[in-house]
Amino acid sequence: MATDATERAERRERFRRFAETGDPRLRDELVADHLGLAEYLARRFANRGEPLDDLVQVASLGLLKAVDRFDPSRGLEFSTFATPTIVGELKRHFRDKGWAVRVPRRIQELHLQLNTVVSSLSHELGRSPTIAEIAREARVSEEEVIEALEAGQAYRSASLDAPGGAGDDDVSLSEGLGAEDPAMADAERRVTLSPLLAEFAPREQTILHLRFFEGCTQSEIARKLGISQMHVSRLLSRSLAQMRERARDA
Amino acid sequence: MGADGAIRLAVPASPEYLRMTRLMAAGVAGRLGFSLEEIEDLRIAIDEVCFALVGDRGRPGTVVVTYRVSGDGLVVEGEGRFEEGLGVQPRLSPLSSRILSVVVDECSLEAGPTGPTFRLVKHRGR
Repeated sequence: MATDATERAERRERFRRFAETGDPRLRDELVADHLGLAEYLARRFANRGEPLDDLVQVASLGLLKAVDRFDPSRGLEFSTFATPTIVGELKRHFRDKGWAVRVPRRIQELHLQLNTVVSSLSHELGRSPTIAEIAREARVSEEEVIEALEAGQAYRSASLDAPGGAGDDDVSLSEGLGAEDPAMADAERRVTLSPLLAEFAPREQTILHLRFFEGCTQSEIARKLGISQMHVSRLLSRSLAQMRERARDA
Repeated sequence: MGADGAIRLAVPASPEYLRMTRLMAAGVAGRLGFSLEEIEDLRIAIDEVCFALVGDRGRPGTVVVTYRVSGDGLVVEGEGRFEEGLGVQPRLSPLSSRILSVVVDECSLEAGPTGPTFRLVKHRGR
């Protein structure tokens, strides 16, 4: 559209002038114009135990850095350039300050490894393995296993599922949930869901129903739906966390 | 660990620290040879009752959780010690009650002298 193109050209021109002159008034204007982007990105990091206002502050700092560093002559859109800078600033904030919500990389990696270990052990033993069995198989201590399993439960501190907000590209959080899975659709058709679950999305309802109303174990649900037991566990935790959030908002 | 063989953990009544109560439950249950799924159940139960006690934003005060081995099971008792004290009445939604009835063998939630209390019992291998 002509207006958009004109606006873009006008913005580009202001960035060019700012790059040339370093005029602080121009800088303020450019920052103010893009606060929406900072706010949008900050929201994607909400629900991790940090107040949104603080996150917007951090994101604005990232925005300021991006305005200072942006070189319009390279042909990039400012938002394309600024997004990684702002996200980097937000991540650094969690790394430096978010000790209560941070899951160390080592534990994140172990969590992913345990996914496979638990599946193969469950298959081999024909039952859910104990912590000692998992630790032996993964060649780590029982404490590490417990910590790694906990990492999958930490919905509020969902480093594994970063970025855990309502972003459009929020792939990891909706992993398996968003995909059309024939087994899942089949299970949905077969069960008559409890009215207590009405507020959940159909797939979440199915999992909650199978676990809490049909009495299926997590492994049985995993088999029915063709996903791993630890994935079922994560989806359950997430649904229950959502349920609590809704209870609070109600 | 106390003289009665129980393990006691006192944490600030906020979600970041209530995580510790889940970790401890998983640790003790793991020692008792609970399966992974039984441990997950226990964790879900602790989340549910802790939410009933402190909500998902926490309260000024402390939650004291006691873990006790009893035969083939684990008893987890919690007590809120809140600044607002007696005013806090624990409540469970019908769905929470349903969930708790599936994941643990016994569950009770009552008003105590300094805040609400809970008691969970989970047996191994049932």
